[in-house]
Order: sequence, then C-alpha cells, then structure tokens
Amino acid sequence: MAATIKKINNTKKLENTILASIVLFVFKLVFFSSDSLIINIINEFVILGTIYLWIDYVIGFVKPRTSTPLSIILNTGILTAIIFFILSVSTSFLSTEIFTNGETDYIYIIFANLLIFVFIGCVTYIFAAFKELSFYRQKTDKSKYFNTLVFFIIITGLSKSITKIDPTLDFIENAFFVVTILLIGINSIRVSWIAFLIKKQKVYLLVIAIVLSILFGFNYSLTIGDGVINQLLYAYSPGLVAFLGLLMIYGSIYFGVIFFTTLFHLPTAEAFDRKAEEVSSLMDLSKLITQVFDFKELADTVTSVTTKVCNSDSAWLVTKREDDFELSSVSNIGFVEADKITTSLLEHHSYNLNEVVTINDSPIKIRIKNDVRTFNFKAIAVAPLKVHNKNSGFLFVARKRDFSFDEDDIKAISAFADYAAVALENAKLIEESLEKERLEKELDVAREVQYKILPDGVPKIENLEISALFVPAFEVGGDYYDFFEISDNKLGFVIADVSGKGIQAAFIMAEIKGVFESLSRIITSPSELLIKVNEILIKSLEKKSFVTAVYGVIDTKSGKVNFSRAGHNSIMLCSKGKVEHFTPPGMGLGLDSGDKFRLVIKEMEIQLDNNDIIILYTDGIPESQNSKYEEFGYKKFEKILIENCDEEVNKISNEIMKAVTIYSQDKSQHDDITLVIFKWKFNNKKSGEV
Amino acid sequence: MADFNVNVRGVGSVSVIDVKGYLDAHTAPELENAFNKLINDAKFQVVVNFNDLSYISSAGLGVFMAYVETMRDNSGDIKFSNMKDNVYNIFDLLGFPMLYEFFDQETEAVNKFNDKG
Repeated sequence: MAATIKKINNTKKLENTILASIVLFVFKLVFFSSDSLIINIINEFVILGTIYLWIDYVIGFVKPRTSTPLSIILNTGILTAIIFFILSVSTSFLSTEIFTNGETDYIYIIFANLLIFVFIGCVTYIFAAFKELSFYRQKTDKSKYFNTLVFFIIITGLSKSITKIDPTLDFIENAFFVVTILLIGINSIRVSWIAFLIKKQKVYLLVIAIVLSILFGFNYSLTIGDGVINQLLYAYSPGLVAFLGLLMIYGSIYFGVIFFTTLFHLPTAEAFDRKAEEVSSLMDLSKLITQVFDFKELADTVTSVTTKVCNSDSAWLVTKREDDFELSSVSNIGFVEADKITTSLLEHHSYNLNEVVTINDSPIKIRIKNDVRTFNFKAIAVAPLKVHNKNSGFLFVARKRDFSFDEDDIKAISAFADYAAVALENAKLIEESLEKERLEKELDVAREVQYKILPDGVPKIENLEISALFVPAFEVGGDYYDFFEISDNKLGFVIADVSGKGIQAAFIMAEIKGVFESLSRIITSPSELLIKVNEILIKSLEKKSFVTAVYGVIDTKSGKVNFSRAGHNSIMLCSKGKVEHFTPPGMGLGLDSGDKFRLVIKEMEIQLDNNDIIILYTDGIPESQNSKYEEFGYKKFEKILIENCDEEVNKISNEIMKAVTIYSQDKSQHDDITLVIFKWKFNNKKSGEV
Repeated sequence: MADFNVNVRGVGSVSVIDVKGYLDAHTAPELENAFNKLINDAKFQVVVNFNDLSYISSAGLGVFMAYVETMRDNSGDIKFSNMKDNVYNIFDLLGFPMLYEFFDQETEAVNKFNDKG
C-alpha cells in the first residue's frame, strides 16, 4: 500500500517536472534571449521552478541509496566528468558567432535547449547528492545551515541576472557570492559518515575525493571562462551559470574536505573496523545464545569470531566434563596440537584461573610422541569460562606474530569467554531437563507395565479370604504377585521381587509372569516349578540381576499349603496368637545355573487350622526405613499381626500398611511394598471331621 | 543420602575391599568401579571386608554376582569376611553361602587364597 502511494507520488512528481520542462522549453523557443527586465526575471523564475521540481524528483532516487554513500559519490563523479567533457570539448566545434544573430536560427536554439537540459539534469543530481550526503548520519538537525545556503544560492543567481541587465550592480552579486562560499564551507564539514566506512572503502573514497575535488575545480574555472558554452549558458540564464559555478565550488570544497577527513581517519580505520566487528560479533553471539541450543555450533562461532576479532591466528575452546577437560571447538589449529598445548599450559598454570592470563613466552614447545614440535605461537591468552563463580572451561587465543595481547584484546577475549560460559550453562541445563524428562517417561512406562502385569483383583475362593496390597515406590521396584486357579481345589500363588529398578525390572517382571503362568498349569510341585523357572531365567537375566520368589499351592478343600522359597523372605503363619516364620532352604532365581539350586531347594507343607493367616510380603515392609535409617523390622510387623489376627484380611493389611507409613513418614518410600494375606475360613462342620 | 565408602588395599597378592556404610542402587557404581579397576590390574583374588557395612540392597548383591564369574575364570575368587549378622542374614536368605565363601575374619579369607597357592 505504502509502496504504491510512493509510486503514484513519484509519477506525479515526474509529470510536474516534465510539464515544467516543456513550459521552459516553449518559453525559450519564444524568447531565447531578451534585454527586457521583465522577461529576464520571468525567465529566471521559470528556470528556478523547473530546477526545483527536478531536484525534488531526483532526491526521490538518491535518498534510498544513502546507505551506500560511495555509490552516490561515484554517480556524482560521473556527472561531473560529463559536465567537464561538455565544457571543454564543445569549445572546439561550436562557433560563437551564431549567438550574436542566433535569434532566427531555431535549429540552433533547440540544440542549445537540449544541451541546457543535460546540464540541468547533471546539476540537479549533484545538488541532490550533496543535500543527502550532508544530512547522512547527522545526529543533530543541520537543515538550518543547508536551507540558508540554498537561499543564498538563489539570491546570488538572481543578482547575477540583475548584473546582466545593469552591470554596475555587480557588487550585490559579489557580496552574495562571498556569503554563499562561506555557507558552502560550513555545510561541507558534515562528513561524519566517513567514520563508519570500513578501511577499504576509506582508501577508495580517498582516491575518488581527490580526483573529484580537482575535477570540480576545473569545472569551476571553465564556467568563469569565456567559452562557447558559457556564453550560451549566460544567454540562457545568468542565474543558472551562477548556480553551476557555485555548485562546482561546493563540490571542490566538499570533496577537498572529504579527502582530508578520510586521510586523517585512515590510520585509525583498522581499530575502528575491529571495534565495529567486535560489537556486531557480540550481537550475533547473544542472538545465537538464545536461538541455538546446540553447544557445538556456538562453540565454533565463538572460536572463529575470537580469531577474527582479536587479530589472532588460532583459538580453541576447552570445556570441563566431570573432572576432565575436553576440546569443544578449534579454529585454525589441529585438534591434536590444541589438545597438547592445553594440557601443557594447564599443567604449568593453575586450573583456578580467575581472569584472562596472557603468556608471552618464547615459542611454545610441545612434545608429541617422541619429537619435540615447536609451535610458533608468540603469545597465548587463556580466559576462564565462569558461571556463578564456577569454572567450566577455558578459551585459548594464540598469536604467531610478535604482538602481545593488549588491553582491548583481553577485554574482547573475556567477553567472548563469558558468552561461551553462559551458552555452555544453557546447553547443560537443557540437556539435564531432557534427561530428566526421558527418565520420567521411562518410569511412567515401567509403572504402566507393572500395573498391567499385576492381577486386577483377588480370586473368590470358598473357605479362603484373600487380600493383596501393592504400593509402588517412585522408582518402580519390580515387585510381583499373582494367583493361578489351577483346578477346582488348587490355588497357586506367587510373590516375587526382581532386583533392580525401573524399566528393566518391569520387563523382567513381565517375563516371570509369563513363565509362572504357563508352568503353574504343568508342574504341580512348587520346588520342581521353581527349578524350572530358574533354568529359564538364568538364560535371560543379566549377571547382576536376580529374582527372589515364593511359590505355593493351597488345597482349598483340605487347607494344606505346599510351598517353596527361592531366596525370598520368610513365609509367615499367624496361628492362635502366635507368629511363625517358615524359611525352607532355597536360593534366589538367576544366581546359579542349576545344580546347586536344585540341590538346595526344599518344599514345605503346612496344614491350616480355622482362622490361620498366611502372610506373604516383599522386603519393602521389613526394610522400610525412618529418617535415621533404622528399619521397620519384624518385631513391629509380628505385633500388628498378633493384635489383628481376628480381623478380616483387608483390615489386617491396612493396619500393617498404616504402621509402615507412619514409621517411614519422614523418608520417601524406597522400594515397592507388596503384601498378600490368606485367611483360612473353614466351615465348622467340616473342620470337625479333620 | 546415606554414606558409602570403598577402599581397596593389597594384602600380599590378595586385594581387600573395605566397604563402609550403605550399599544400594545409588552407591553400587562406586563398588563396581573398584572391581573394574582390579580386573584392569589383573587382580582377581579379592576379599570383601564387610566390617563397616550397615546395609546392603539387592542392587548391592548384584555387584558381586556381576564380577565373581570373571574372577573365578581367572583362577581367583571373591570371598566375604567380617559380616554383621543383619547383613549376613540377607546373603543367607538368598542362598549366597552356597555360592560364596564367608569368613569371620579377613585374615582367614586371605590365608585361604594363599593356602591354595
């Protein structure tokens, strides 16, 4: 939208300019040269107006290009050269005589008019360029000076027309001329934009400026001469001649000033370039820190930028990983060399560098394998990467030339090191949070697996009350229990604890569930079954993993319980107010490849009486700890059982869990807790038969 | 977190590992490092002195299972000594006495290695 408006604006300006030019053209065809005062004055105003419209239009082109002042200057130079060419060459093939009686020769008038328009074109562009340049990169408003200058140029031009009519009034023109020159001088010192050029551009500008200054000077000398073009111009409009002359003076002075200013800027150009580069590099880096989470990329940027900005030959970044230092990035140096230099420097200098240290030793000698290789670094600076007063690495900068690092270099190096430190810290934090997220996801999966593996409820069996309670720890512990209804009067049960935690434990659980479920239907003897389970597990378990388990079968008609133990905690029986532990011999599953396991394992049988309770549990109960690392133990466990043995099984289970929770309230639950309770409720009539 | 400490010392050709404090899933890697170092140094005759150990979890037990095979394959072993009753009960419950040798005193365990030559 804005662009189209601008375009329409431009088109309108162009139309006005062309219209004014045509008016001027026609006007000139009618009155090419006249002695009448009125016509002369009208002539000057028509030309003034036309030039104003031209300038207004041309500025529209120049303005967008002010960001590259050199191209504007180059264009100005070309136009000046054209003027110079016309002024100097035209003398040779145009005759002055035609002018004296030229009023009748229309072809000549048209030609002269066209030539004038070329001049007007060149002059307006040059003027527009000067205007834009003098406002370029100005921090304060200097339009006052420029407008005054424009005003005096116009006055000088008009007074020249008056001089044409009455030559005795030339002192007016001269007075205005002097004032205008002074104003040109004032306007010419606005050249602060030179400072922002890079060194190469400054050298280029220096050459152009001296050439242009001379060229403008030549042009001026040609405009005050008596050449054909001068006469033509003078006949056309004395004001235009004045304008042209003043503009040439302006150019000569302006480019003279530019030349000397650039000349004085040249020695500091390099330092200025470096500062500018440093500032823009730091800006780039700070952008990178917020955008890039990949530390490697940032480290590469830091080393390459440091090399460039600090005028050094090589740079490398070393970061701390645990207790070791690791090369993160190198610039202009091999990995091996950088590593060797780092090791040797850090050996000699304290690891606890707190600020940038520069080393200006004689060439640094590093031993690689058997040959002593010499690195021609004359100066090395080491900057610590510090975040929260903790050192997380070092930035090394090395120079081959014989200049030690000055204060500015050190400031820059430490700034880059600080950026690297912040980035390193960021990268670390992100990595940590990702890792944490990953672990939490893994735990979620493990918990889900565990819940799916455990039975939904407890089987409903005549004569038997069953309660099963499972409380998972934060890190999934690998507890497992299950019931298998083998036949009408046989109920198989298992409780197991997988060593280890998390997803690994959960997968082992899944495996043993499958094994128990299938074997329980084939093998009736608990010890035989566990021997078989051991044989299967020893093949799939990791060396350091094992499983403890109790497997048993309850005869729900007779109340006989057969069971075997594989390294698991004892089976408890609470009968008539007394608690008894049964620990038949048996090794953990996955400890031994077979022979010993088979040799050791024994089976046990107990006969349940009415209201007898069998308690199966994992070590999460007796080993749950309080804040003093003291274990809950068996005494409290047995006491609760005895106190509650007449209650129904769920109530007993809750009481135990309550006691454990209160006991370990100051400490997070370390391991899964599983508690399975059977209570034999035998029909009294039948019990009489036994 | 409860403290755990591992110290390895040589008694003749036998290496003695003193374990102290709480050995569980979080502290087990320290003991694993000690065993890895011994294997790197080709020291396969190891006695673990449990005098100052107050607690061991299943992950702690797993460490010995993970390394015993390597030791035995290289005509060495892992033997246990100076175990407190509560710690021994855990080993006993699992059936470790069938697989490992337990001694009351460290010197007995060291001598057992030396007797064999």
